Amino acid sequence: MKHAMRHAVKFVQHPLRAPARALGRLALAACIAVGGLTASAGFAGADGKFVFANSSPYDSLDPHAVFDVGRVATRLNLYDGLLRWHDNPPKLDPWLAESYEISDDGLTYTFKLRQGAQFHDGSEIEASDVVYSMERILAMKKGAFSLYQGTIAPGSTRAVDKHTVEFTLTKPSAIFLSTVPEIHVVNEELVRANEVDGDWGTVWLSANDAGSGAFQLRRYDPAIGWSATRFDDHFMGWDHNPNPLDEIEFRTVVEINSRVLGLMNGDFHGTDGYLPQDQVKRLEESDNVYVNEQESMRIFYAILHNGRSPMNDIHFRKAVSYAFDYDGFNQDILSGSVARNPAPVPNNIWGSPGDVEGYTFDLEKAKEHLDQMTEPLREITVGALAGYQQTEQAAALLQNGMNKIGIKTKIVAEPWSVVSNNMRDEQQMYDILFLWRSTYYADPHNWVGEMYACDQIGARNNSWYCNQEVDKLLTEALTSTDPELRKANYEKAARLVTEDAAGVFVYNTKWFGPFNAKVKGVHFSPIGNAQEMRWIYFEG
Amino acid sequence: METARYLLKKLLSDRTAALGAFLILLLILAAILAPVLATHPEDVTEFHPSERLQGPSAEHFFGTDRMGSDIYSRILYGARITIAIALIAIGVSVLIGVPIGLIAGYYRNWASEALMRVSDIFLSVPQIVLAIAIAQTLGPSLENVILALSATYWPFWARLVYAETRSALNETYVEASIALGARPWRVMMLHVLPNISSSVIVRTTIGMGGTILTAAALGFLGLGPPPPTPEWGRMIAESREFLPEAWWYATAPGLAIFLVVMGFNLLGDGLRDILDPRIRRSRDE
Amino acid sequence: MRAVVLTVHRLVWFFPTVLGLLVIVFAISHVIPADPVAFMAGENASREQIEALRHRLGYDRPLPVQFFSYVVGVLQGDLGTSLYTQRPIAEDLISRLPATLELTFVAVFLSALIGVPLGVVAAVYRNSLLDHLLRIFTVSGLAIAAFWLAILLQLLFAMRLGWTPLQGRVSGWGPDEVTGFFLIDALIMGDWEIFRDVVAHMTLPAITLGFPAMATIVRFTRAGVLNAINSNYVLYEQAMGFPRRVVVWKYVLRNALIGTVTQIGLIFGVLIANGVVVEAVFNWPGLGTYAVNSILQSDYNAIMGFTLTQGVIFIIVNLLVDISHGVIDPREAR
Repeated sequence: MKHAMRHAVKFVQHPLRAPARALGRLALAACIAVGGLTASAGFAGADGKFVFANSSPYDSLDPHAVFDVGRVATRLNLYDGLLRWHDNPPKLDPWLAESYEISDDGLTYTFKLRQGAQFHDGSEIEASDVVYSMERILAMKKGAFSLYQGTIAPGSTRAVDKHTVEFTLTKPSAIFLSTVPEIHVVNEELVRANEVDGDWGTVWLSANDAGSGAFQLRRYDPAIGWSATRFDDHFMGWDHNPNPLDEIEFRTVVEINSRVLGLMNGDFHGTDGYLPQDQVKRLEESDNVYVNEQESMRIFYAILHNGRSPMNDIHFRKAVSYAFDYDGFNQDILSGSVARNPAPVPNNIWGSPGDVEGYTFDLEKAKEHLDQMTEPLREITVGALAGYQQTEQAAALLQNGMNKIGIKTKIVAEPWSVVSNNMRDEQQMYDILFLWRSTYYADPHNWVGEMYACDQIGARNNSWYCNQEVDKLLTEALTSTDPELRKANYEKAARLVTEDAAGVFVYNTKWFGPFNAKVKGVHFSPIGNAQEMRWIYFEG
Repeated sequence: METARYLLKKLLSDRTAALGAFLILLLILAAILAPVLATHPEDVTEFHPSERLQGPSAEHFFGTDRMGSDIYSRILYGARITIAIALIAIGVSVLIGVPIGLIAGYYRNWASEALMRVSDIFLSVPQIVLAIAIAQTLGPSLENVILALSATYWPFWARLVYAETRSALNETYVEASIALGARPWRVMMLHVLPNISSSVIVRTTIGMGGTILTAAALGFLGLGPPPPTPEWGRMIAESREFLPEAWWYATAPGLAIFLVVMGFNLLGDGLRDILDPRIRRSRDE
Repeated sequence: MRAVVLTVHRLVWFFPTVLGLLVIVFAISHVIPADPVAFMAGENASREQIEALRHRLGYDRPLPVQFFSYVVGVLQGDLGTSLYTQRPIAEDLISRLPATLELTFVAVFLSALIGVPLGVVAAVYRNSLLDHLLRIFTVSGLAIAAFWLAILLQLLFAMRLGWTPLQGRVSGWGPDEVTGFFLIDALIMGDWEIFRDVVAHMTLPAITLGFPAMATIVRFTRAGVLNAINSNYVLYEQAMGFPRRVVVWKYVLRNALIGTVTQIGLIFGVLIANGVVVEAVFNWPGLGTYAVNSILQSDYNAIMGFTLTQGVIFIIVNLLVDISHGVIDPREAR
């Protein structure tokens, strides 16, 4: 059993490996001679290998099973989609598709694939692979599936010819195009060859590579991470990069201190950009590291269960909104590393209502609203994500404020898998739950649209909030192709939701991406957080 | 009364055992007097974000934590959690384990054999592993930690009491009273139990230390009571993100665990010497 | 003869014990508050889809039937698949076992290497200052929370002084796997850099794990030696005029160490379990880290597979200890 797996994992042999290691060894020996391991930064990347320290484990490499920002690197580097998000603010670039057309009724999307684009095994990427990938997503019901649920029916995607693929939507959707980058194309022939009992190759693909990305998998061990070598035949070529990397390695390093120390002494060349601010300061002081600061799109907020008493009382919701110490959280606990974001749309995307003031920490006002309540008070359960200190700290801070206005609370910290189940069940959902909303696609619908639409209740609307006026605006925006109307609608909807205090909106993230001083060419985008490695090179 | 005074005197004459007793006394005092001793008693539930992660000072003896709360005060209140967990979990274990061991030891039939086999099976898994599995399935809370610990700890007492009961039954006067037709429960209560109580007390004392360690490990793994409960294991887990700068954050709660467990172990050793002359420390240690 | 009887007796009890363990693990995994099937079905599955999956996986059958098929699966080496990664749990556990075993072996070896001489010294110089100091030392070893010791060591040696790596088992991918034990594999490769790197990574976790073990060994050795010193034949040897040193090292140790050897066996089993927390702190890619990650993801199947594996290892180790004890020291066999 073990053998089969090991072979599967090491299925790509890498010619560069032995010399690279020898070089590293030599350099290491030299450094020890010079004095201590801390001096080893000198040879960082000397062999064209970039080591990224990732905070969450890569338990699966399947691009259709995983849809989170923590493990985006496998999708961006081993796989390709028809389109791809780049830069900040994000824009949608043609990728595997060189062009596309949308029918007048907004229901049919036709993509023209590049000629001669290859998978890692050398076979050509064809429209049928795209169809298979779409069907695989719909069948597995994991990862990015929710983006297509109700929009794309199984069996409705068609390969018109070898290089043309056609999606037919069940209803017009202004965001479909934005979600196309998540249709990562897998090599149909290869995956089918590894299917077991009609499992769509899920077991096999969790540890192997069937992609076309700029890098191809060399080694994978769920306990350690994965590494991949440059794919010279990638369809986008390598002309954009003067000195592309030979190898990338994404290693799981759960502990923050290990990531920080590793960066400071040159073992790692990059890590995630959401470190606690104290650690960012440490990194900034190191000569080996620079910190790339970017405004991202990842809002932090508290979901209130609007469907349950007393949260169904607007005065209670307002009281809660006034009972959270926004400055204490953003300025003190997070050392000012985030920007206050008072509405359910990130400040830095179109559709954000710039004029909304939002709520402040004001216990007097909170008490006033409490006095006007009609619903009876009771103990409130505040949910937090176990293992994510920020959510726990926010919950504790809210508890602090609510204590002072006389509301009893209980904090429940549970792991994400439990939370994500509970938040889809009206009975199981916490009264209040602190959570992030990251960018899955750069459209305001990703936030206010999904979070507060009536038909998303129990799916992506976990507030059980349904305001007909808001819903009308959102539905109109989702089906319209007029950018001005969409912008106006999202702004108005966000304003109404804020007015209703449907949630407690806290901040929008800034991203502090630490990199080795020699690393150049970093391209940041809120989708992918600068983990697309084909841009990156080492200076000197 | 006489014996109690005698025991106390003997205990205090043993320096290490006295130190153990002193440490436990400190724990109990800390728990009871927490509201008085704490410099910032409100900090268990109240936070001051602007004062977070400050080093030890006259204002904050052990510094402040990630929420700006006084670590010293939180540790004092944490003593209550620790005592609650240890007392209830051990109490339940004793209440389950001792009767099972007693009954299984007294009667020699298939039922007693089966009871002992069940406790052997529990003992066949490392306690912390089983506790993790149970605490994980039940979800993180104070009650569930206590439940997980009780469910995994009772077999130790069952085993001990079983063995002790069997040997006590061989004592002449116990055999005699059985022969004279004394009722089983009478024999157990009047003859067997007093005979084995010293072993149980020693085991319980040392078990308290072990339980506190296991409970702290569960808290450290995130399986303990949720924040802002000032549970010591959880406090250490929280601190990791802020090392090495905030060294005091991890140091103080760890030291508290250390001293308390040390107290129970030292006292247990001492009690064994005094109560159980059959196994002198010099031989058993 | 008694040793044979004992061995057979232990072996006979092995299977019912493992079966009992299976019952416990199965029972725990079936009082789960959250619905494992709902989780497996994915985030967007409807009630009908969940029920269909429940039927397909057999979770709707009566519990005894489920238990039977669970046992049959385990006997075939099937511990189920991870709820989170869909991979077979047995494979994951097997691939992590060498890391845990290697760390445990090294920790036990170190603790015996240091613990036995210290125990002898403490017994020989009983009630001296040295004995008292050692006593404080051993009591500390048993009172310190492993995860706290681990963090303190990291704080000092990895963060402040930079002498050792903070965590992990090796920089990079490590040696080509032959045995899975990196120290041995590095030697097979003849790669001293990797060997040194592995040693550096192993130092802190092995110390953390070995400290309480060493404390136990010191205590047992001391007690064993004292016991032997006080026994009649030693008094006799001394009366015969043999030098004290010879008596201690030649006669006493041999008899005293029987207990210690048994103890070391038992410690091995305990350390594999204690490794959970230590591995988690050092991000050591063994069974413990796997378990802790599974906890974070509420991967019940994986946790149950881990619990079962730990139980079986523990039972086997104890079995071996019992048997070898009976063989080494037939007097004790009862």
